[in-house]
Formats: sequence, structure tokens, C-alpha cells
Amino acid sequence: MKWVIMAIMFVFCVGVGYFLSLRYKRRQNFYSALIMFAQKLDVEINFSRERLKKLIEDMDEKNKKHLFGLDKNFLAYLSGNLELKQTELFKNIQFLKPDEKETIFLFFKSLGRSDVLGQSKEIANFSKRFDDSLTKCSNENKKYGSLCIKLGVVAGLFLLVIML
Amino acid sequence: MLEGILPDQIYIPLANKVGFSRLNEIRLRMDKPVLLSCCGQKFFLGDSGACKDLNKAIFCNRSMIEEIVFRASECSIYSVNEQIKKGYIVTSEGIRIGLAGNVVEENGILKTMTSFSSINIRLPHEIRNCSLKVFSSIVKETGILNTLIISPPGAGKTTFLRDFVWQLSERNLAYNILVLDERGELNIGKGLGIFSDIISFSSKKLGFENGIRSLAPNVIVTDELGEWEDIEAVKYASNSGVKIIASVHSDSIESFSRKQAFKELLEEKIFKRFVLLSMREGPGTLEGVFDENLSRLMRW
Repeated sequence: MKWVIMAIMFVFCVGVGYFLSLRYKRRQNFYSALIMFAQKLDVEINFSRERLKKLIEDMDEKNKKHLFGLDKNFLAYLSGNLELKQTELFKNIQFLKPDEKETIFLFFKSLGRSDVLGQSKEIANFSKRFDDSLTKCSNENKKYGSLCIKLGVVAGLFLLVIML
Repeated sequence: MLEGILPDQIYIPLANKVGFSRLNEIRLRMDKPVLLSCCGQKFFLGDSGACKDLNKAIFCNRSMIEEIVFRASECSIYSVNEQIKKGYIVTSEGIRIGLAGNVVEENGILKTMTSFSSINIRLPHEIRNCSLKVFSSIVKETGILNTLIISPPGAGKTTFLRDFVWQLSERNLAYNILVLDERGELNIGKGLGIFSDIISFSSKKLGFENGIRSLAPNVIVTDELGEWEDIEAVKYASNSGVKIIASVHSDSIESFSRKQAFKELLEEKIFKRFVLLSMREGPGTLEGVFDENLSRLMRW
């Protein structure tokens, strides 16, 4: 019985570490997907000039998965006669900091509001900022993400030692 | 109609209290009252519907206008910039929204328009049989006569053309009709009958050339001739043996005959019939039919 409890405690600690590290992984994946999203928009706006709604609907589902519903929230705004609100746009997203949310909000707010040249420049500007954020997130993921898992393992081992 | 384009503040009284069936135009000007044009009469839009009292009118602001333009472009201004350069946007329902604002020019080339300050929403109507009175003077047993519909803006040229195309199809005359819909206004709602091909958002020159080459039409129907390029396109079609039904802005036969661009067409007698419409008894009032010498054939 004691060994079973020890195993459960160890797995729990590692699990908590892994769970905490997920935040960093998510942030990295999110920015990576957002950059892809912006690039794809830029290409399509310059080439096909399709409506924003159709462009977003037609995007790769695999990439959209990492946007954590941001695309769907934006589509809901495009479909309804509503005002774009930060709270609605980031409804299911908790891992972004307020200043990051503000930047992304401004990006979405600018979509569809200017001619091809203006829109393209706007997307390029935001993409640069997203690139910087991605680099920061990758570093954080490397540094803190793996640290969380390691701490989880260490905490698990520490509990094992105490229980022994 | 216009749901999702107009803000609720304007749409709700319009849809619930006024209705769209008799409405011709909605004008929104920055910091000015919303103006409705209904059967040739002007009203303000108030919370309780159309009114004549300025104090009850709903006023429009810049953000409302900007949002309407954004929504009318299906949230994609970049996709309609070529239309914006020409001063309008046409929605998927064929509603033409005329724009006024700041024009951005670079090296003499018009790039776009920004800071929209006024919009004029023209609601298209399908009025069945509105062209019937003159149908027999345009379509003869020997064939269709080249015809020009003349009227001032908003007097029903497009509605007339739309019905004329439908009448041609309805009578099963088996004419191949090419509708050159430069502004996307002709092809709305229930369509233009079973014998029509539609080229949308193309210039007259390109549309006439490509259409004649690839679709072999018997008749080309198009809206609003005006530029020299359009006149050349008409001549090209006429020389190719294709009949033309078109429209032009003018308030009378006299002022039309003074238009420099049409001098050559009149001299060569390319158009055999001229139908004059006016606003006298509301949009679409038939004033007369004239022959190639501009002599009146019919009067109402």
C-alpha cells in the first residue's frame, strides 16, 4: 500500500510540474500559430483579395487549433453586428499577459480596415512584434518550462525520500 | 436587407417602422440627420419611423459611417478598394453605397478614399413589368433595336433594364443576353432569367470584348454609359452585329443630344430607340420613346 501511495505522490508531483510547464508551451505554440495566421492573411489579401471571413474559415485547422479559439471569437465578431471587445476576443485564453492581449487586440482590430497596401504593411508590423514575442516565449519555454518539469520530478523524489 | 450593415440605432426603426419596399435611398451625413428618400419624397428617420420634424431625427456620426462602410465591405475594405476608388461599394445584395470622404492621391493616381463623411445607400428594386409599356417598340419581329434608356440619377434606369432582361427571358425568345454588370447592381434577388449570362465588375471595354468573343451574345445589356471608352465599346459591339440595350444619365433628350461623347453615336444612328424616364410621378415615370432622329414616337 505504501509503495502505491508513494507512486501516486510521485506521479502527482511530476504532473503538477508538467501542468505548470504547459503554460509556456502553449504561449510558444500560440505565437507560432499567430505568426502563421498573419503571414497567410498577408499572402491571401495580396493575392486572392477574398473576404476576411472566408480567408479565416479556409485556414488550416491544425494551425488554428493553437490559436485556442481566437479565430472563432473573431469570426463571431465578423458575423454579428457587434463591437470588437477584448474580453470577447480572448474568452478562452488565460495564458497571455495584459500587454500581449492589447497588442493582439489591436492587430485584429486593424484587420479589414484599409486597402491592400496599408493592410499588408500593418500585418508586417504586427508580425514583427509577434516574432519578438515568439522569441521571448521560446526562451521562457526552454528556461521555465523544463524547469517546472524538473522541479516536479525533484519534489516527487523529495516526497519519496521523506516517506521512506 | 441591410441587416448587419446598418447600426441597430438606424436599422431597427427602418425595418420596423418604415420598411424597405418603398424606400429608394438612405443618406447618412456626418453630424447630420439620416435622410430617407421614399417615392420621390424626402423624410428624416426618427426613432418612431419617417418624420418631417428635424428635432425627432436620428443624427449620424463619423463612427457610424465608418462602421457601415466596413460592414458593407464584409469587413474587408481591401477587397473593395477598386470600387472605393470609383466612389462606391456594392454589397452582395446589389445595394450600391455611394461614398464621400478624403481622396488619397499619389503622383496623380487615385489610391483610395479615407475618412468617409457621407454615404448614400441606394436600394435596388425589382418592379415586374415596368418595361412592358415600351417593350414592343424595342423588340420587333425582325429583332431587337439598339436602345438607350435616358434618365436622371435615381429615376429607375437600372430597374427598367433589370425588368427588360427578365421580360426577354420570360417570353422565351431565346436571345442570348449578356448582362455586363459593371457595378454589380443589375443582378440582384431572383436573377435575370434563364437566357442571360452575367459578367460582373468588369469595365465596359473588357466586358464587351471578352463577352462577344467568348459568349456570342445576341444582345448586350449594360448600365450607365458615360466615358469615351464606353462609347468605343458600344461601337465595337454594334460593328460585331450585337444589339445593345444601355442606359445613360441625362434629364432630357435635349441635354442628352448635347453630350459630346454621344455625338458620334447619334450621327451614326447606332441607337434606334431612346426611352426617357423621369421622377415626375416617382422613379420610373415613362416620359417618351424617341427614334434614331430623336423624334418622339410615344408619349405618356
